[in-house]
Amino acid sequence: MQPKANYHLNFYITYIIIAVGLFAFSALFALFGVYAERKVSAFIQDRLGPTEVGKFGTLQTFADILKMLQKELIVPAAADKLLFSLAPVIIFVSVYLGFAALPWAPGIAPTNLNIGLFYVFAIISIETLGILMAGWGSNNKYSLLGAMRSVSQIISYEIPAGFAIISVVMIAQTLDLQAIATQQGILTSETIKFFGFYDVTHIGGLLSWNIFRAPHLIVAFVIYFIASLAEANRAPFDIPEAESELVAGFHTEYTGLRFAFVFLAEYSMMFLVSMIGVILFLGAWNTPLPNIGSVYLANWTTNVAWGIFWVALKSLLLVGVQMWIRWTLPRFRIDQLMNLCWKVLTPLAFVCMLISGVWRLLLM
Amino acid sequence: MNIEHILFYVMGFIAVASALVVAASKNLVRSLFMFFVTLFALAGLYVFALADFVAITQIVIYVGGVLVLMLFAFMLSGKEVLNNLQQRNSRFISLSKVPAILVALLFAIVLYNAITKAQPNDLPWIKASAQSGNVIKPADNTINNIGVNLMTRYLLPFEAVSVLLMMTLIGAAHLARKEEHKII
Repeated sequence: MQPKANYHLNFYITYIIIAVGLFAFSALFALFGVYAERKVSAFIQDRLGPTEVGKFGTLQTFADILKMLQKELIVPAAADKLLFSLAPVIIFVSVYLGFAALPWAPGIAPTNLNIGLFYVFAIISIETLGILMAGWGSNNKYSLLGAMRSVSQIISYEIPAGFAIISVVMIAQTLDLQAIATQQGILTSETIKFFGFYDVTHIGGLLSWNIFRAPHLIVAFVIYFIASLAEANRAPFDIPEAESELVAGFHTEYTGLRFAFVFLAEYSMMFLVSMIGVILFLGAWNTPLPNIGSVYLANWTTNVAWGIFWVALKSLLLVGVQMWIRWTLPRFRIDQLMNLCWKVLTPLAFVCMLISGVWRLLLM
Repeated sequence: MNIEHILFYVMGFIAVASALVVAASKNLVRSLFMFFVTLFALAGLYVFALADFVAITQIVIYVGGVLVLMLFAFMLSGKEVLNNLQQRNSRFISLSKVPAILVALLFAIVLYNAITKAQPNDLPWIKASAQSGNVIKPADNTINNIGVNLMTRYLLPFEAVSVLLMMTLIGAAHLARKEEHKII
Protein backbone atom coordinates (compact mmCIF):
# COMPACT_ATOMS: atom_id res chain seq x y z
CA MET A 1 0.00 0.00 0.00
CA GLN A 2 2.86 2.37 0.69
CA PRO A 3 3.79 3.17 -2.93
CA LYS A 4 0.16 3.76 -3.85
CA ALA A 5 -0.37 6.21 -1.01
CA ASN A 6 2.83 7.94 -2.01
CA TYR A 7 1.68 8.14 -5.58
CA HIS A 8 -1.59 9.71 -4.47
CA LEU A 9 0.22 12.20 -2.31
CA ASN A 10 2.54 13.17 -5.15
CA PHE A 11 -0.46 13.50 -7.42
CA TYR A 12 -2.20 15.97 -5.14
CA ILE A 13 0.98 17.87 -4.34
CA THR A 14 1.64 18.33 -8.06
CA TYR A 15 -1.83 19.76 -8.51
CA ILE A 16 -1.41 22.11 -5.57
CA ILE A 17 1.92 23.33 -6.92
CA ILE A 18 0.37 23.92 -10.34
CA ALA A 19 -2.53 25.82 -8.78
CA VAL A 20 -0.19 28.02 -6.72
CA GLY A 21 1.98 28.58 -9.78
CA LEU A 22 -0.99 29.71 -11.85
CA PHE A 23 -2.05 32.08 -9.09
CA ALA A 24 1.45 33.50 -8.85
CA PHE A 25 1.49 33.88 -12.61
CA SER A 26 -1.79 35.78 -12.70
CA ALA A 27 -0.70 38.04 -9.84
CA LEU A 28 2.65 38.77 -11.50
CA PHE A 29 0.94 39.30 -14.82
CA ALA A 30 -1.45 41.81 -13.22
CA LEU A 31 1.52 43.72 -11.79
CA PHE A 32 3.25 43.72 -15.14
CA GLY A 33 0.00 44.47 -16.96
CA VAL A 34 -0.75 47.56 -14.91
CA TYR A 35 2.75 48.87 -15.49
CA ALA A 36 2.56 48.11 -19.21
CA GLU A 37 -0.86 49.69 -19.46
CA ARG A 38 0.44 52.90 -17.87
CA LYS A 39 3.48 53.04 -20.10
CA VAL A 40 1.49 52.22 -23.26
CA SER A 41 -1.16 54.80 -22.45
CA ALA A 42 1.56 57.34 -21.70
CA PHE A 43 3.24 56.60 -25.02
CA ILE A 44 -0.03 56.89 -26.94
CA GLN A 45 -0.94 60.16 -25.22
CA ASP A 46 2.60 61.50 -25.55
CA ARG A 47 3.29 61.52 -21.82
CA LEU A 48 5.99 59.80 -19.76
CA GLY A 49 3.94 57.66 -17.40
CA PRO A 50 5.44 56.53 -14.08
CA THR A 51 9.10 57.51 -13.82
CA GLU A 52 9.89 58.08 -10.14
CA VAL A 53 9.73 54.72 -8.35
CA GLY A 54 12.59 52.51 -9.49
CA LYS A 55 14.30 52.68 -12.86
CA PHE A 56 11.76 53.94 -15.45
CA GLY A 57 9.06 53.61 -12.79
CA THR A 58 9.23 49.80 -12.86
CA LEU A 59 8.53 49.53 -9.13
CA GLN A 60 5.49 51.80 -9.29
CA THR A 61 2.94 48.96 -9.35
CA PHE A 62 4.70 47.18 -6.46
CA ALA A 63 4.41 50.39 -4.46
CA ASP A 64 0.75 50.67 -5.44
CA ILE A 65 -0.08 47.13 -4.44
CA LEU A 66 1.72 47.55 -1.10
CA LYS A 67 -0.33 50.64 -0.43
CA MET A 68 -3.50 48.82 -1.41
CA LEU A 69 -2.79 45.88 0.90
CA GLN A 70 -2.47 48.19 3.89
CA LYS A 71 -5.74 49.97 3.29
CA GLU A 72 -8.78 49.51 5.47
CA LEU A 73 -11.55 47.24 4.19
CA ILE A 74 -14.56 49.53 4.20
CA VAL A 75 -18.01 48.00 4.07
CA PRO A 76 -20.78 50.54 3.42
CA ALA A 77 -23.33 50.66 6.24
CA ALA A 78 -26.27 49.81 3.97
CA ALA A 79 -24.49 47.04 2.07
CA ASP A 80 -25.34 43.37 2.24
CA LYS A 81 -22.13 42.44 4.02
CA LEU A 82 -21.95 38.80 3.03
CA LEU A 83 -22.56 39.35 -0.68
CA PHE A 84 -20.35 42.41 -0.68
CA SER A 85 -17.33 40.58 0.70
CA LEU A 86 -17.85 37.36 -1.28
CA ALA A 87 -18.25 39.00 -4.70
CA PRO A 88 -14.58 39.86 -5.45
CA VAL A 89 -13.54 36.33 -4.56
CA ILE A 90 -16.11 34.80 -6.91
CA ILE A 91 -15.14 37.18 -9.70
CA PHE A 92 -11.47 36.32 -9.36
CA VAL A 93 -11.87 32.59 -8.79
CA SER A 94 -14.05 32.17 -11.87
CA VAL A 95 -11.39 33.75 -14.06
CA TYR A 96 -8.60 31.86 -12.31
CA LEU A 97 -10.38 28.51 -12.78
CA GLY A 98 -10.41 29.20 -16.50
CA PHE A 99 -6.62 28.82 -16.58
CA ALA A 100 -6.94 25.21 -15.37
CA ALA A 101 -7.61 23.82 -18.84
CA LEU A 102 -5.31 25.89 -21.04
CA PRO A 103 -2.33 24.09 -22.62
CA TRP A 104 1.05 25.83 -22.37
CA ALA A 105 3.30 23.57 -24.42
CA PRO A 106 3.28 20.14 -26.07
CA GLY A 107 2.12 17.80 -23.31
CA ILE A 108 2.00 20.57 -20.70
CA ALA A 109 -1.45 21.52 -19.49
CA PRO A 110 -2.68 21.87 -15.90
CA THR A 111 -5.50 19.41 -16.63
CA ASN A 112 -6.23 17.52 -19.80
CA LEU A 113 -9.97 17.75 -20.24
CA ASN A 114 -11.54 16.37 -23.37
CA ILE A 115 -14.15 19.11 -23.14
CA GLY A 116 -11.67 21.79 -22.09
CA LEU A 117 -12.95 24.51 -24.39
CA PHE A 118 -16.53 24.08 -23.21
CA TYR A 119 -15.32 24.10 -19.61
CA VAL A 120 -13.47 27.39 -20.05
CA PHE A 121 -16.48 28.94 -21.74
CA ALA A 122 -18.73 27.80 -18.88
CA ILE A 123 -16.47 28.84 -16.04
CA ILE A 124 -16.01 32.34 -17.44
CA SER A 125 -19.78 32.84 -17.43
CA ILE A 126 -19.73 32.58 -13.63
CA GLU A 127 -17.98 35.93 -13.53
CA THR A 128 -21.27 37.63 -14.44
CA LEU A 129 -22.76 36.23 -11.26
CA GLY A 130 -19.95 37.71 -9.17
CA ILE A 131 -20.43 41.06 -10.85
CA LEU A 132 -24.17 41.03 -10.11
CA MET A 133 -23.36 40.08 -6.53
CA ALA A 134 -20.97 43.02 -6.23
CA GLY A 135 -23.48 45.39 -7.78
CA TRP A 136 -26.35 44.32 -5.56
CA GLY A 137 -24.29 43.86 -2.41
CA SER A 138 -22.84 47.38 -2.56
CA ASN A 139 -26.34 48.88 -2.35
CA ASN A 140 -25.26 51.80 -4.48
CA LYS A 141 -27.06 52.91 -7.60
CA TYR A 142 -23.87 53.33 -9.61
CA SER A 143 -22.70 49.86 -8.66
CA LEU A 144 -26.04 48.33 -9.56
CA LEU A 145 -26.23 50.15 -12.89
CA GLY A 146 -22.67 49.17 -13.68
CA ALA A 147 -23.34 45.55 -12.81
CA MET A 148 -26.48 45.44 -14.97
CA ARG A 149 -24.67 46.98 -17.91
CA SER A 150 -21.74 44.67 -17.47
CA VAL A 151 -23.88 41.56 -17.33
CA SER A 152 -26.08 42.48 -20.28
CA GLN A 153 -22.95 43.20 -22.29
CA ILE A 154 -21.17 40.00 -21.32
CA ILE A 155 -24.21 37.83 -22.00
CA SER A 156 -24.82 39.47 -25.39
CA TYR A 157 -21.23 39.13 -26.52
CA GLU A 158 -21.05 35.51 -25.44
CA ILE A 159 -23.18 34.69 -28.49
CA PRO A 160 -20.89 35.93 -31.29
CA ALA A 161 -17.88 34.68 -29.31
CA GLY A 162 -19.53 31.31 -28.93
CA PHE A 163 -20.28 30.99 -32.63
CA ALA A 164 -16.77 32.08 -33.58
CA ILE A 165 -15.48 29.36 -31.26
CA ILE A 166 -17.88 26.81 -32.73
CA SER A 167 -16.61 27.57 -36.22
CA VAL A 168 -13.10 26.64 -35.02
CA VAL A 169 -14.39 23.53 -33.31
CA MET A 170 -16.07 22.44 -36.54
CA ILE A 171 -12.72 22.67 -38.33
CA ALA A 172 -10.78 21.04 -35.48
CA GLN A 173 -13.45 18.42 -34.62
CA THR A 174 -12.56 18.40 -30.95
CA LEU A 175 -13.19 20.35 -27.76
CA ASP A 176 -9.88 19.31 -26.25
CA LEU A 177 -7.71 22.44 -26.19
CA GLN A 178 -4.49 20.43 -26.25
CA ALA A 179 -5.69 18.55 -29.36
CA ILE A 180 -6.69 21.81 -31.05
CA ALA A 181 -3.21 23.16 -30.26
CA THR A 182 -1.44 20.07 -31.59
CA GLN A 183 -3.35 20.21 -34.87
CA GLN A 184 -1.83 23.55 -35.76
CA GLY A 185 1.81 22.54 -36.10
CA ILE A 186 4.28 19.91 -37.16
CA LEU A 187 3.48 17.52 -34.31
CA THR A 188 0.07 16.71 -35.73
CA SER A 189 -0.88 13.28 -37.03
CA GLU A 190 -3.41 14.72 -39.49
CA THR A 191 -2.90 16.29 -42.88
CA ILE A 192 -2.87 20.05 -42.55
CA LYS A 193 -3.69 22.06 -45.65
CA PHE A 194 -2.89 25.73 -46.09
CA PHE A 195 -6.07 27.44 -47.39
CA GLY A 196 -7.52 23.99 -48.02
CA PHE A 197 -5.30 22.98 -50.93
CA TYR A 198 -1.56 23.14 -50.12
CA ASP A 199 -0.27 20.35 -47.86
CA VAL A 200 1.84 21.91 -45.09
CA THR A 201 1.85 18.99 -42.62
CA HIS A 202 5.65 18.85 -42.54
CA ILE A 203 6.24 22.54 -43.13
CA GLY A 204 4.26 23.81 -40.15
CA GLY A 205 4.88 27.26 -38.80
CA LEU A 206 2.58 30.13 -39.59
CA LEU A 207 1.03 28.27 -42.51
CA SER A 208 -0.67 25.60 -40.43
CA TRP A 209 -2.35 27.92 -37.93
CA ASN A 210 -6.11 27.69 -37.84
CA ILE A 211 -6.63 31.12 -39.37
CA PHE A 212 -4.68 29.97 -42.44
CA ARG A 213 -6.04 26.44 -42.54
CA ALA A 214 -9.43 27.97 -43.28
CA PRO A 215 -9.24 31.67 -44.17
CA HIS A 216 -12.77 32.51 -43.01
CA LEU A 217 -11.46 31.90 -39.50
CA ILE A 218 -9.66 35.24 -39.84
CA VAL A 219 -13.11 36.82 -39.72
CA ALA A 220 -14.05 34.52 -36.85
CA PHE A 221 -10.90 35.58 -35.02
CA VAL A 222 -11.75 39.27 -35.40
CA ILE A 223 -15.27 38.57 -34.12
CA TYR A 224 -13.86 36.61 -31.19
CA PHE A 225 -11.35 39.34 -30.41
CA ILE A 226 -13.99 42.09 -30.40
CA ALA A 227 -16.28 39.96 -28.24
CA SER A 228 -13.43 39.17 -25.88
CA LEU A 229 -12.83 42.88 -25.37
CA ALA A 230 -16.46 43.16 -24.32
CA GLU A 231 -16.22 40.13 -22.02
CA ALA A 232 -13.20 41.58 -20.28
CA ASN A 233 -15.03 44.93 -19.92
CA ARG A 234 -12.25 46.68 -21.80
CA ALA A 235 -12.56 49.92 -23.73
CA PRO A 236 -14.17 50.60 -26.19
CA PHE A 237 -16.68 48.43 -24.35
CA ASP A 238 -16.05 49.74 -20.85
CA ILE A 239 -19.53 51.13 -20.33
CA PRO A 240 -19.88 49.09 -17.11
CA GLU A 241 -17.16 51.24 -15.60
CA ALA A 242 -17.64 54.43 -17.59
CA GLU A 243 -15.81 56.78 -15.21
CA SER A 244 -17.61 59.83 -16.58
CA GLU A 245 -21.07 58.34 -15.95
CA LEU A 246 -20.93 55.71 -13.22
CA VAL A 247 -17.93 56.69 -11.04
CA ALA A 248 -16.39 53.21 -11.34
CA GLY A 249 -19.27 50.87 -12.08
CA PHE A 250 -19.77 47.73 -10.08
CA HIS A 251 -16.60 48.15 -8.01
CA THR A 252 -17.31 51.71 -6.87
CA GLU A 253 -17.51 50.78 -3.18
CA TYR A 254 -14.55 48.42 -3.01
CA THR A 255 -11.35 49.30 -1.20
CA GLY A 256 -8.06 47.69 -0.34
CA LEU A 257 -7.61 43.99 -0.88
CA ARG A 258 -11.11 43.50 -2.28
CA PHE A 259 -10.50 46.09 -4.95
CA ALA A 260 -7.17 44.41 -5.65
CA PHE A 261 -9.02 41.16 -6.34
CA VAL A 262 -11.40 42.85 -8.79
CA PHE A 263 -8.40 44.38 -10.50
CA LEU A 264 -6.53 41.11 -10.56
CA ALA A 265 -9.56 39.45 -12.12
CA GLU A 266 -9.71 42.08 -14.86
CA TYR A 267 -6.08 41.63 -15.83
CA SER A 268 -6.22 37.84 -15.58
CA MET A 269 -9.30 37.96 -17.79
CA MET A 270 -7.37 39.97 -20.39
CA PHE A 271 -4.67 37.33 -20.48
CA LEU A 272 -7.14 34.46 -20.37
CA VAL A 273 -9.21 35.62 -23.35
CA SER A 274 -6.03 36.41 -25.31
CA MET A 275 -4.64 32.99 -24.58
CA ILE A 276 -7.87 31.28 -25.65
CA GLY A 277 -7.75 33.32 -28.86
CA VAL A 278 -4.14 32.28 -29.43
CA ILE A 279 -4.91 28.61 -28.81
CA LEU A 280 -7.93 28.56 -31.07
CA PHE A 281 -6.82 30.73 -33.95
CA LEU A 282 -3.14 31.63 -33.80
CA GLY A 283 -1.45 28.26 -33.50
CA ALA A 284 -1.33 27.94 -29.69
CA TRP A 285 2.22 26.93 -28.65
CA ASN A 286 3.30 26.29 -32.22
CA THR A 287 6.09 28.26 -33.75
CA PRO A 288 5.37 30.86 -36.45
CA LEU A 289 8.56 29.80 -38.29
CA PRO A 290 8.00 27.23 -41.07
CA ASN A 291 10.43 24.60 -42.33
CA ILE A 292 12.03 26.03 -45.45
CA GLY A 293 13.76 23.41 -47.57
CA SER A 294 16.55 21.93 -45.47
CA VAL A 295 16.32 24.70 -42.86
CA TYR A 296 14.07 23.03 -40.27
CA LEU A 297 13.10 26.15 -38.37
CA ALA A 298 9.79 24.67 -37.23
CA ASN A 299 11.40 21.46 -35.94
CA TRP A 300 14.05 23.44 -34.06
CA THR A 301 11.58 25.79 -32.41
CA THR A 302 8.96 23.26 -31.29
CA ASN A 303 9.49 21.85 -27.81
CA VAL A 304 8.33 22.51 -24.27
CA ALA A 305 10.45 25.61 -23.58
CA TRP A 306 9.76 27.14 -26.96
CA GLY A 307 6.07 26.25 -26.58
CA ILE A 308 5.74 28.23 -23.36
CA PHE A 309 7.70 31.06 -24.95
CA TRP A 310 5.49 31.20 -28.07
CA VAL A 311 2.17 30.97 -26.27
CA ALA A 312 3.22 33.66 -23.80
CA LEU A 313 4.60 35.89 -26.54
CA LYS A 314 1.51 35.63 -28.71
CA SER A 315 -0.85 36.17 -25.77
CA LEU A 316 1.14 39.19 -24.62
CA LEU A 317 1.00 40.60 -28.13
CA LEU A 318 -2.79 40.28 -28.09
CA VAL A 319 -2.89 41.91 -24.65
CA GLY A 320 -0.79 44.70 -26.15
CA VAL A 321 -3.36 45.13 -28.91
CA GLN A 322 -6.10 45.27 -26.28
CA MET A 323 -4.25 48.10 -24.53
CA TRP A 324 -3.59 49.88 -27.80
CA ILE A 325 -7.30 49.74 -28.64
CA ARG A 326 -8.29 50.93 -25.18
CA TRP A 327 -6.23 54.09 -25.43
CA THR A 328 -7.11 54.81 -29.06
CA LEU A 329 -10.86 54.32 -29.41
CA PRO A 330 -13.59 56.22 -27.56
CA ARG A 331 -16.26 54.40 -25.57
CA PHE A 332 -19.31 52.94 -27.30
CA ARG A 333 -22.81 54.02 -26.33
CA ILE A 334 -24.99 51.19 -25.02
CA ASP A 335 -27.29 51.10 -28.07
CA GLN A 336 -24.31 51.14 -30.44
CA LEU A 337 -22.83 48.31 -28.43
CA MET A 338 -25.96 46.19 -28.74
CA ASN A 339 -26.36 47.04 -32.44
CA LEU A 340 -22.80 45.95 -33.14
CA CYS A 341 -23.33 42.71 -31.26
CA TRP A 342 -26.71 41.62 -32.58
CA LYS A 343 -26.82 43.12 -36.05
CA VAL A 344 -23.21 42.81 -37.19
CA LEU A 345 -21.21 40.30 -35.18
CA THR A 346 -23.85 37.64 -34.59
CA PRO A 347 -24.90 37.26 -38.28
CA LEU A 348 -21.25 37.30 -39.34
CA ALA A 349 -20.42 34.63 -36.80
CA PHE A 350 -23.31 32.53 -38.12
CA VAL A 351 -21.93 32.87 -41.64
CA CYS A 352 -18.51 31.77 -40.39
CA MET A 353 -20.06 28.73 -38.80
CA LEU A 354 -21.86 27.79 -42.03
CA ILE A 355 -18.68 28.22 -44.06
CA SER A 356 -16.85 26.04 -41.52
CA GLY A 357 -19.34 23.25 -42.08
CA VAL A 358 -19.04 23.44 -45.86
CA TRP A 359 -15.26 23.74 -45.63
CA ARG A 360 -14.99 20.69 -43.47
CA LEU A 361 -17.13 18.63 -45.83
CA LEU A 362 -15.63 19.75 -49.12
CA LEU A 363 -12.01 20.71 -48.52
CA MET A 364 -10.69 18.69 -45.59
CA MET B 1 -13.74 5.47 2.30
CA ASN B 2 -11.52 6.86 -0.38
CA ILE B 3 -11.34 10.46 -1.52
CA GLU B 4 -14.06 9.98 -4.15
CA HIS B 5 -16.55 8.84 -1.53
CA ILE B 6 -15.71 11.74 0.73
CA LEU B 7 -16.08 14.22 -2.11
CA PHE B 8 -19.37 12.66 -3.15
CA TYR B 9 -20.85 12.98 0.32
CA VAL B 10 -19.50 16.50 0.75
CA MET B 11 -21.12 17.55 -2.51
CA GLY B 12 -24.36 15.80 -1.71
CA PHE B 13 -24.45 17.52 1.67
CA ILE B 14 -23.74 20.92 0.10
CA ALA B 15 -26.48 20.39 -2.47
CA VAL B 16 -29.10 19.45 0.11
CA ALA B 17 -28.07 22.04 2.71
CA SER B 18 -27.91 24.89 0.25
CA ALA B 19 -31.27 23.89 -1.23
CA LEU B 20 -32.76 24.03 2.27
CA VAL B 21 -31.29 27.50 2.76
CA VAL B 22 -32.74 28.58 -0.61
CA ALA B 23 -36.18 27.48 0.53
CA ALA B 24 -35.97 28.81 4.07
CA SER B 25 -34.10 32.08 3.66
CA LYS B 26 -36.08 35.28 4.18
CA ASN B 27 -33.77 37.29 1.97
CA LEU B 28 -34.71 36.64 -1.65
CA VAL B 29 -31.43 37.79 -3.19
CA ARG B 30 -29.47 35.60 -0.84
CA SER B 31 -31.57 32.61 -1.70
CA LEU B 32 -30.91 33.25 -5.38
CA PHE B 33 -27.17 33.34 -4.75
CA MET B 34 -27.48 30.25 -2.59
CA PHE B 35 -29.22 28.55 -5.51
CA PHE B 36 -25.95 29.07 -7.38
CA VAL B 37 -24.21 26.93 -4.76
CA THR B 38 -26.89 24.24 -5.17
CA LEU B 39 -26.43 24.20 -8.93
CA PHE B 40 -22.68 23.99 -8.58
CA ALA B 41 -22.89 21.07 -6.16
CA LEU B 42 -25.27 19.33 -8.56
CA ALA B 43 -22.78 19.85 -11.38
CA GLY B 44 -20.19 18.16 -9.16
CA LEU B 45 -22.53 15.20 -8.66
CA TYR B 46 -22.99 14.93 -12.43
CA VAL B 47 -19.23 14.64 -12.78
CA PHE B 48 -19.35 11.67 -10.42
CA ALA B 49 -21.98 10.11 -12.67
CA LEU B 50 -19.42 10.37 -15.54
CA ALA B 51 -21.61 12.97 -17.20
CA ASP B 52 -19.04 15.75 -17.41
CA PHE B 53 -20.70 17.25 -20.47
CA VAL B 54 -24.01 17.50 -18.61
CA ALA B 55 -22.20 19.04 -15.63
CA ILE B 56 -20.70 21.81 -17.73
CA THR B 57 -23.92 22.36 -19.66
CA GLN B 58 -25.62 22.74 -16.30
CA ILE B 59 -23.22 25.54 -15.40
CA VAL B 60 -23.54 27.28 -18.78
CA ILE B 61 -27.32 27.13 -18.90
CA TYR B 62 -28.36 27.46 -15.29
CA VAL B 63 -25.61 29.61 -13.80
CA GLY B 64 -24.74 31.67 -16.87
CA GLY B 65 -28.30 31.93 -18.15
CA VAL B 66 -31.25 31.08 -15.94
CA LEU B 67 -29.83 32.34 -12.65
CA VAL B 68 -28.64 35.61 -14.16
CA LEU B 69 -32.06 36.02 -15.75
CA MET B 70 -33.74 35.45 -12.37
CA LEU B 71 -31.45 38.02 -10.77
CA PHE B 72 -32.27 40.48 -13.53
CA ALA B 73 -35.99 39.94 -13.05
CA PHE B 74 -35.47 40.45 -9.33
CA MET B 75 -33.44 43.61 -9.67
CA LEU B 76 -35.72 45.18 -12.25
CA SER B 77 -38.93 44.64 -10.27
CA GLY B 78 -40.28 47.29 -7.95
CA LYS B 79 -39.65 47.43 -4.22
CA GLU B 80 -43.29 46.91 -3.26
CA VAL B 81 -43.71 43.69 -5.20
CA LEU B 82 -40.63 42.36 -3.51
CA ASN B 83 -41.75 43.42 -0.06
CA ASN B 84 -45.05 41.62 -0.57
CA LEU B 85 -43.14 38.54 -1.64
CA GLN B 86 -40.85 38.70 1.33
CA GLN B 87 -43.60 38.98 3.90
CA ARG B 88 -44.49 35.54 5.07
CA ASN B 89 -47.05 34.01 7.31
CA SER B 90 -45.43 33.40 10.64
CA ARG B 91 -47.88 30.72 11.81
CA PHE B 92 -46.52 27.23 11.41
CA ILE B 93 -49.85 25.59 10.53
CA SER B 94 -52.10 27.41 8.11
CA LEU B 95 -54.41 26.61 5.22
CA SER B 96 -52.07 28.10 2.62
CA LYS B 97 -49.51 25.47 3.43
CA VAL B 98 -51.75 22.48 2.64
CA PRO B 99 -50.74 22.19 -1.05
CA ALA B 100 -47.07 22.29 -0.11
CA ILE B 101 -47.52 19.57 2.50
CA LEU B 102 -49.49 17.45 0.03
CA VAL B 103 -46.83 17.74 -2.65
CA ALA B 104 -44.09 16.98 -0.13
CA LEU B 105 -45.92 13.88 1.11
CA LEU B 106 -46.57 12.55 -2.39
CA PHE B 107 -42.98 13.16 -3.35
CA ALA B 108 -41.80 11.37 -0.22
CA ILE B 109 -43.92 8.34 -1.21
CA VAL B 110 -42.48 8.35 -4.72
CA LEU B 111 -38.93 8.62 -3.37
CA TYR B 112 -39.50 5.86 -0.86
CA ASN B 113 -40.80 3.56 -3.57
CA ALA B 114 -38.00 4.45 -5.92
CA ILE B 115 -35.36 3.73 -3.30
CA THR B 116 -36.79 0.49 -1.96
CA LYS B 117 -38.30 -1.11 -5.07
CA ALA B 118 -36.29 0.00 -8.09
CA GLN B 119 -33.14 -2.07 -7.35
CA PRO B 120 -31.05 -0.55 -10.14
CA ASN B 121 -28.33 -3.18 -9.82
CA ASP B 122 -30.71 -6.00 -10.73
CA LEU B 123 -32.27 -4.53 -13.87
CA PRO B 124 -31.83 -6.97 -16.78
CA TRP B 125 -30.56 -4.44 -19.34
CA ILE B 126 -27.97 -3.08 -16.91
CA LYS B 127 -26.73 -6.59 -16.18
CA ALA B 128 -26.58 -7.36 -19.90
CA SER B 129 -24.56 -4.24 -20.73
CA ALA B 130 -22.21 -4.80 -17.83
CA GLN B 131 -21.58 -8.33 -19.07
CA SER B 132 -21.03 -7.34 -22.70
CA GLY B 133 -18.71 -4.49 -21.71
CA ASN B 134 -21.02 -1.79 -23.08
CA VAL B 135 -20.19 0.70 -20.32
CA ILE B 136 -18.61 4.15 -20.05
CA LYS B 137 -15.31 4.33 -18.22
CA PRO B 138 -14.00 7.46 -16.46
CA ALA B 139 -11.36 8.06 -19.14
CA ASP B 140 -13.77 7.73 -22.08
CA ASN B 141 -14.62 10.62 -24.32
CA THR B 142 -18.35 11.03 -23.88
CA ILE B 143 -19.06 13.91 -26.23
CA ASN B 144 -18.64 11.91 -29.44
CA ASN B 145 -21.23 9.49 -28.12
CA ILE B 146 -23.62 12.34 -27.29
CA GLY B 147 -23.14 13.92 -30.71
CA VAL B 148 -23.74 10.72 -32.65
CA ASN B 149 -26.81 9.87 -30.59
CA LEU B 150 -28.29 13.36 -30.96
CA MET B 151 -27.93 13.19 -34.73
CA THR B 152 -29.29 9.66 -35.14
CA ARG B 153 -31.45 8.14 -32.45
CA TYR B 154 -32.71 11.37 -30.86
CA LEU B 155 -32.91 13.51 -33.99
CA LEU B 156 -36.65 14.15 -33.76
CA PRO B 157 -36.65 15.43 -30.15
CA PHE B 158 -33.56 17.47 -30.97
CA GLU B 159 -35.29 19.13 -33.92
CA ALA B 160 -38.47 19.66 -31.91
CA VAL B 161 -36.46 21.47 -29.24
CA SER B 162 -34.79 23.63 -31.87
CA VAL B 163 -38.20 24.60 -33.29
CA LEU B 164 -39.37 25.47 -29.78
CA LEU B 165 -36.30 27.65 -29.22
CA MET B 166 -36.86 29.33 -32.58
CA MET B 167 -40.43 30.14 -31.54
CA THR B 168 -39.27 31.72 -28.27
CA LEU B 169 -36.64 33.73 -30.13
CA ILE B 170 -39.18 35.06 -32.61
CA GLY B 171 -41.58 35.80 -29.77
CA ALA B 172 -38.92 37.69 -27.83
CA ALA B 173 -37.93 39.70 -30.89
CA HIS B 174 -41.58 40.54 -31.53
CA LEU B 175 -42.15 41.69 -27.95
CA ALA B 176 -39.00 43.78 -27.92
CA ARG B 177 -39.34 45.54 -31.28
CA LYS B 178 -40.39 49.16 -31.68
CA GLU B 179 -43.77 50.11 -33.11
CA GLU B 180 -43.26 51.18 -36.68
CA HIS B 181 -45.20 54.45 -36.65
CA LYS B 182 -43.23 55.85 -33.76
CA ILE B 183 -40.47 58.33 -34.49
CA ILE B 184 -37.29 57.45 -32.69
